[in-house]
Amino acid sequence: MSDEAHNMGGTAAAPPMNRMVVAVLAMGGFFVALYLFAHNLGLTGPIVCGVGDCATVQASQYAKIGPIPVSLIGLLGYVVLLLLSFVGLQPNHRGSKLIGGLLLFGSLGGSLFSAYLTYLEAFVIEAWCQYCVISAILITLIFLASIPEAMRLREGSS
Amino acid sequence: MSRSEERRKARESTGGSDMTKFYITLGVVAVLGVGAVAYSVGGAALGAAAMEPVEIEGLEDMNLLAEMAQGVTKGDPDAPITIVEFGDYACPGCGGFAMSVKPQVELMLVETGQAKFVFYDFPLTGIHPTSFLAARSARCAEDQDKFWEYHDAVFRNQASWRLEQSPMAHFLNFAADVGLDVDDFEACVKSDRHAELVSANMRLGYELGVSGTPAVMVQGNNKPPFLVPNNSFAGIQAAIEQIMGPAEAGGAN
Repeated sequence: MSDEAHNMGGTAAAPPMNRMVVAVLAMGGFFVALYLFAHNLGLTGPIVCGVGDCATVQASQYAKIGPIPVSLIGLLGYVVLLLLSFVGLQPNHRGSKLIGGLLLFGSLGGSLFSAYLTYLEAFVIEAWCQYCVISAILITLIFLASIPEAMRLREGSS
Repeated sequence: MSRSEERRKARESTGGSDMTKFYITLGVVAVLGVGAVAYSVGGAALGAAAMEPVEIEGLEDMNLLAEMAQGVTKGDPDAPITIVEFGDYACPGCGGFAMSVKPQVELMLVETGQAKFVFYDFPLTGIHPTSFLAARSARCAEDQDKFWEYHDAVFRNQASWRLEQSPMAHFLNFAADVGLDVDDFEACVKSDRHAELVSANMRLGYELGVSGTPAVMVQGNNKPPFLVPNNSFAGIQAAIEQIMGPAEAGGAN
């Protein structure tokens, strides 16, 4: 209800540009993760890699957490971020603090998880998968694009 | 009043055009993404990977066939007895043979120098669409001198991949597990390398009357190959006895 209240009187009519950026980046990340997940399912055959060593990374024990492929976690994460930013762009939800908070902390969590995976690639597996690196860059950019949500949260609370 | 309304309208129209640009951008990214993933999952999935036997001219010439069909040998090449298996990596019976009988053969006959074990590819492509690929992948492992490690891994994990449409990811995992250079292996499996070799092995099997897998034969003493009826270790011992005489087969006790 308070979310709706912020939009009253046409004051929040302009769509937040940062959420557009998040949605587009999350759409890109979704397909990167989908490609890696399809590979996990054995649907894509060899990973098409221009540079790096995706096959080694994907064949390592770190490509899964228990029975769950890391790519599936990424896939779901990007879907959530895409939906949140998309809904957050609709006129009724442009001032939503809840969506802002979820975007901010969700992308922060994703960035930290991605940083851990990048650390594994660099120092433990010692092989680079370009798709994982692209995903790490995308989620970091999504987090950066979500920082304005922090401002909105502060403005809203004061 | 009217000025504030104008301002609101201006803002809404700007917001509207921003949203239109946003939807177009999002749509373009989605179309590109769908295209890229569909391309990789679809026809290009296995790249140029040969999945089917190839026609080889002149293979009815037994000399050419003998030259082209090559098994992979384990044990002393000069051992007096040769135990031959024509096998299909996707066939559960071959999996059972690889896991229960082959270790006994290795321990009691191959390591003692009495026999060598030779594996020929005989993928039953009519019922196992991926077994030709599996056979080629094992030959790709042989290129890196790890045929038997990979062969055993593929059979040991047969249940995990044999029913999959594209078991490539599993093969790459097995390759990594047995310490292959995964990139070289992947490039090999993705190509048509060894397609002729596997096809020639299949032809040799047909010529020898192989009709199902595993087909296990024992050969020695300049006698024709003896087909082991039930693929058991006892059957192999009995065949050796028949070919070489009781004294030879007794060594496996």
